[in-house]
Amino acid sequence: MSVSWKKQRERGSTGALRLILWIALNLGRRSTRLLLYPITLYFLLTTSTQRKASRQFLALALDRKPHLGDVARHFHTFAATILDRVFLLEEDKDAFDVNYHHPELVVEMAKQGRGCILLGSHLGSFEILRSMAKLEHQIPVKILMYPKQNERITQAFATLNPAMANTVIPLGRTDTLIRVSEEISQGALVGMLGDRTEEQDKLTHCTFFGQQTSFSQGPMLLASVLKAPVILFYGLYRGGNRYDIYFELLAEQVTVDRKQRARDIQQWTQRYAARLEHYARMAPYNWFNFYDFWNEDDTVS
Amino acid sequence: MSFNHLKYTDLEEYLNMAELSPEELEVAKLIIDTLNLEDLTPEEIDPHAPLFRDGLGLDSIDALELSLGIKQQYGIQLKADDANIANIFSSIAKLSQYIQANR
Repeated sequence: MSVSWKKQRERGSTGALRLILWIALNLGRRSTRLLLYPITLYFLLTTSTQRKASRQFLALALDRKPHLGDVARHFHTFAATILDRVFLLEEDKDAFDVNYHHPELVVEMAKQGRGCILLGSHLGSFEILRSMAKLEHQIPVKILMYPKQNERITQAFATLNPAMANTVIPLGRTDTLIRVSEEISQGALVGMLGDRTEEQDKLTHCTFFGQQTSFSQGPMLLASVLKAPVILFYGLYRGGNRYDIYFELLAEQVTVDRKQRARDIQQWTQRYAARLEHYARMAPYNWFNFYDFWNEDDTVS
Repeated sequence: MSFNHLKYTDLEEYLNMAELSPEELEVAKLIIDTLNLEDLTPEEIDPHAPLFRDGLGLDSIDALELSLGIKQQYGIQLKADDANIANIFSSIAKLSQYIQANR
């Protein structure tokens, strides 16, 4: 997988972002959603890289040549889930119609005070999971995130709900995973997204939509070292105010033979990639990696 | 020989010889065993070279495994809240000093 997502500038000015936030908070979800059309059009006209990436992905996921309407729907879905983060952070949970699939997986973990890894991706919304876990089930979810990524929007959302911003464990520090280990041993559910890579990541090759690309070994290495259960999750946006949240147990324990660690980690990561492909086919417009996902501009060591 | 018997200036001089003390050698072995770095021998590791990034090139996963190894071998629980954690992990010399002070 490429790290070209990092080269992409965060789009949208701070002024426009503030304006949209103000409108959202004052006029409510229904009215603000009308803004999604001009916003979609704006991004459709001004972002050629993302447009190309959208076409590339949709061609694979839809199994046909995508037309401009598909790309518009793709961008619109993305914008809609970002806007919904505002209302989720405002803790307006009744604004949403959420359909849970196997919530007992996480509810049981939380009840028993067992920590686990919640492994997601940039397919759909993470916020719907984090907010609903807190609001509906009082389940503490922490999230691993790069603090510098999408700084402006993260900052704006942090002011909406500082308590939620505090659930972030910053990635990229030497002690990051020691912290994760402490959180998990105290029974926290720690969320992370396994589909993007960083320059310093150890990578492994996987087949994804029939083509080779590389994924980070990080989540599976971490799970194997901590001997923590791994639950996959997908918060898929279904239009209107509807979301589907899926949970799936990937492994009670990610077992790795130390002598064959690289091979075993590859196999576990491939399972993750296969499930991601499965859900991405179910909800192609929820794919929020708007860069060439298969471009190998990194060497796998 | 133990650090406790050395005055600070002596200790500094001693470490500057860039040879591994018995305690450092033990830490170097722990690192090699824990992280499966069989291609390295403890003597090859410069006790003052950084462990992470540019030095031995260890990452956050390695730091976690190392902290679990230290807990197992010395009964010392490294905490992420510890403000000095970057300093403790900065070199074998520093890590060894920390272990000796806390075991």
